[in-house]
Amino acid sequence: MLRNYFKIAIAVLRRKKFFTFISLFGISFTLTIVIIVAAFVDNMFSAGYPDINRDRELFVSRMQIRSSTNASSINAGPSYYFIDHYVSRLKTPAKIAILSGNFPVTTYLNNKKQVTSVRSTNDQFWEVLQFQFVEGKPYTKQQIDNGEKVVVISEAVRSNYFNEGVAAVGKYIELLNMQYRVTGVVKNLPSASNVYADIFTPLTLTQEDMHEPSLVGGHTCILLLDSKANIPKMKEEFNQMAAKVPMDDKKIDNKIFDRKLVFADTFLESFVRDFHAGFTEGAGAGVDIFILIVSIFFLLFLLLPTLNLVNINISRIMDRYSEIGVRKAFGASSRTLVYQFIVENLILTFIGGAIGVGLSFIIVQVINSMDFMYNNRISVNFHVLSFALLASLVFGLLSGVYPAWRMSRMNVVMALKAQ
Amino acid sequence: MLTHLFKLIWNKKKQNFLLMTEMFVSFIILFAVFTALVYYYQNYHRPMGFEYDRVWKFGYNAPREISDPDSMAAFRGSVRQLIRSMPQIEEVSFSSENIPFGNDNNVGGVNYYKKNVGADKYTVDDSYSAVLHVSVKEGRWFSKEDDAAKEKPVVINETLKKSLFGNENAIGKLIGEGGEGMGNMKIVGVINDLKDKGDFAGPHNGLYRRVDTGNYGGGAILLKVSSDADRAFESRLFKVLSSTMRNPDINIQHLAYMRTRINNIRLIPVIITLIVAGFLIINVALGLFGVLWYNISKRKSEIGLRRAVGASGHSISGQLVGEALVLSTISLIVGSFFALQFPLLNIFDLPALTYLIAQGLAIAFIYLLVMICAFYPGRQAAAIYPAVALHED
Repeated sequence: MLRNYFKIAIAVLRRKKFFTFISLFGISFTLTIVIIVAAFVDNMFSAGYPDINRDRELFVSRMQIRSSTNASSINAGPSYYFIDHYVSRLKTPAKIAILSGNFPVTTYLNNKKQVTSVRSTNDQFWEVLQFQFVEGKPYTKQQIDNGEKVVVISEAVRSNYFNEGVAAVGKYIELLNMQYRVTGVVKNLPSASNVYADIFTPLTLTQEDMHEPSLVGGHTCILLLDSKANIPKMKEEFNQMAAKVPMDDKKIDNKIFDRKLVFADTFLESFVRDFHAGFTEGAGAGVDIFILIVSIFFLLFLLLPTLNLVNINISRIMDRYSEIGVRKAFGASSRTLVYQFIVENLILTFIGGAIGVGLSFIIVQVINSMDFMYNNRISVNFHVLSFALLASLVFGLLSGVYPAWRMSRMNVVMALKAQ
Repeated sequence: MLTHLFKLIWNKKKQNFLLMTEMFVSFIILFAVFTALVYYYQNYHRPMGFEYDRVWKFGYNAPREISDPDSMAAFRGSVRQLIRSMPQIEEVSFSSENIPFGNDNNVGGVNYYKKNVGADKYTVDDSYSAVLHVSVKEGRWFSKEDDAAKEKPVVINETLKKSLFGNENAIGKLIGEGGEGMGNMKIVGVINDLKDKGDFAGPHNGLYRRVDTGNYGGGAILLKVSSDADRAFESRLFKVLSSTMRNPDINIQHLAYMRTRINNIRLIPVIITLIVAGFLIINVALGLFGVLWYNISKRKSEIGLRRAVGASGHSISGQLVGEALVLSTISLIVGSFFALQFPLLNIFDLPALTYLIAQGLAIAFIYLLVMICAFYPGRQAAAIYPAVALHED
């Protein structure tokens, strides 16, 4: 039966080439865009080098200080003091990575200007995040405590400072008029990575005063849990701890700013929280609403190509008036006809979808080869392809159902008489 | 004639409904795209208000050991002296971190009695206007005479003046930092708007405060350099400053480069939207063309009959194009109803004119699209021979 439908569908497609072209153009282009967007989203949200444990991590990346008397607020990462004194005493996390914000450092090598971004981290950072070391190893707790001037650099920095492929461990690089010894070289990070930096230094080398009580400071901490199941427990412990932390910060006027908001969020939650600069107070960060809005946009985008396809499909069906009339006259039920037409339409969408996948492979290659996102390689992987399959299914059904329904209600006598 | 066309459409309202919905949705998308384009275009044509060529930004954090206002002022003085002593430097100004084309913003409330507005707040010094060639419209820029002023002197930009005072005089008035009472900041000057958030950004309120000894910490130094300042000089300057600052996070950037970057950040989403919208429109155009063509081929007998009773080819193609135009007019009326809500309800805070121009362009575009799509099928219909058409029936 299906084979028959398939044969009919192909025959119909070959009969009206112009219409086939319009349909396929619309379908394949629409799905190409869906696939590319999905590839970008997948690249952004799914765990990847070096943050591969993302599904069992919570991020504390924002501390907001609010005032109950006026609308002003201070918005930055938590201070090292806050993380060290309160967060690191929590019991649930298996490991806690602490990292500073990345700041650009300019160096002039033979009058060639280079801007590298530097981040300071603690030792557990190297255990929470799975870096691939090209040579050497990370700095240890011992080295951090001793205040040694050591750094881990990326491959790109190595080829800038030394020569391509030359071993750098044990050599010195000059940063800010000081000599730092290289202990390790890691594979380059994608620029969109949440821990991106070219050079990593021990936390003791930052400018922030680490022992003076403060809340706001521009650090981030990542709590690695034993398993995903501990997330609710972790959040609860964190909120209890945060509620007890006093408003103790010399840089902040306690009379005006009397409330703080700080959360341990999953990656998606922290992204959404950053996105609403207004900082939602709820623990869920408004992820539901965010997803709803994104889905509405997605459906709105699909609306126009769908309407277009529906219009064309109706014209196509009207063209087959006589065929349908004859089949009805010989006793085919409306359901059979609707079913046949939907299957035909799905076949058309899947052909369009296949072209779309091909096109998006090419476009992804072009985007990657232009490398305008520096080391960020998007790919059409299994996730993305299954999403594309789902999208073409939805698209095919949406655009097939209404015309099929119109067809099934066709008046037999009129249909036959038309000839 | 029009009523007749309308009747023809009404008789086939079911078939035409989807076509109209498609035109409606296309109109809404075009309206959105044109609004963005018109807004960008209008902003692009506003005067820049300042000069950024040969201006460098030096970003720094003051050494940690400086903690009281007096030594901060002394530190600033010595850094200024050091920089001014280099022959390639023409002018130096200290500024808060929200320099032109930078990523930093400092937004807060400004009020004149009960009138409250939000504004970008800048903390700058006396030579800021000389570095950036800011043009003062009324009053004056900061100068030494403000040292002894009882009220804090401030300069506002034209947009802020308009939103607080309308067409009244602003010089000498006292404004505050949000709230309701009488402020303690005295307006000494009004300057032309600086388009400092990139070429495509809209006008915004701006309030300029004078750096005083109470301002701590970090920020930026803007340097106007002479034309012979090159990379080697930049490297030398960096060396000198980094040893003075004794602080790691310092950097030099060129305003011209920062401008390109901030423009790209604004342009790339619009370019992507344009590409997607372009494909959508091609898609719609092809679809429209296909459907109109098909509809006309279905009406061969009707057209043949009209030809037989003496209608000219022109009047036939005219009728078909006219039908398509009436069809699009209906959807455009519905679409315009929605589009008009944007200026009426002041959604997104854009000027009403932007929306109206965008609406006009979208309407013109849809008409053009429909005419092009209907023209060829109309010509085909005009070429029908009555004898052939009637014989088929």
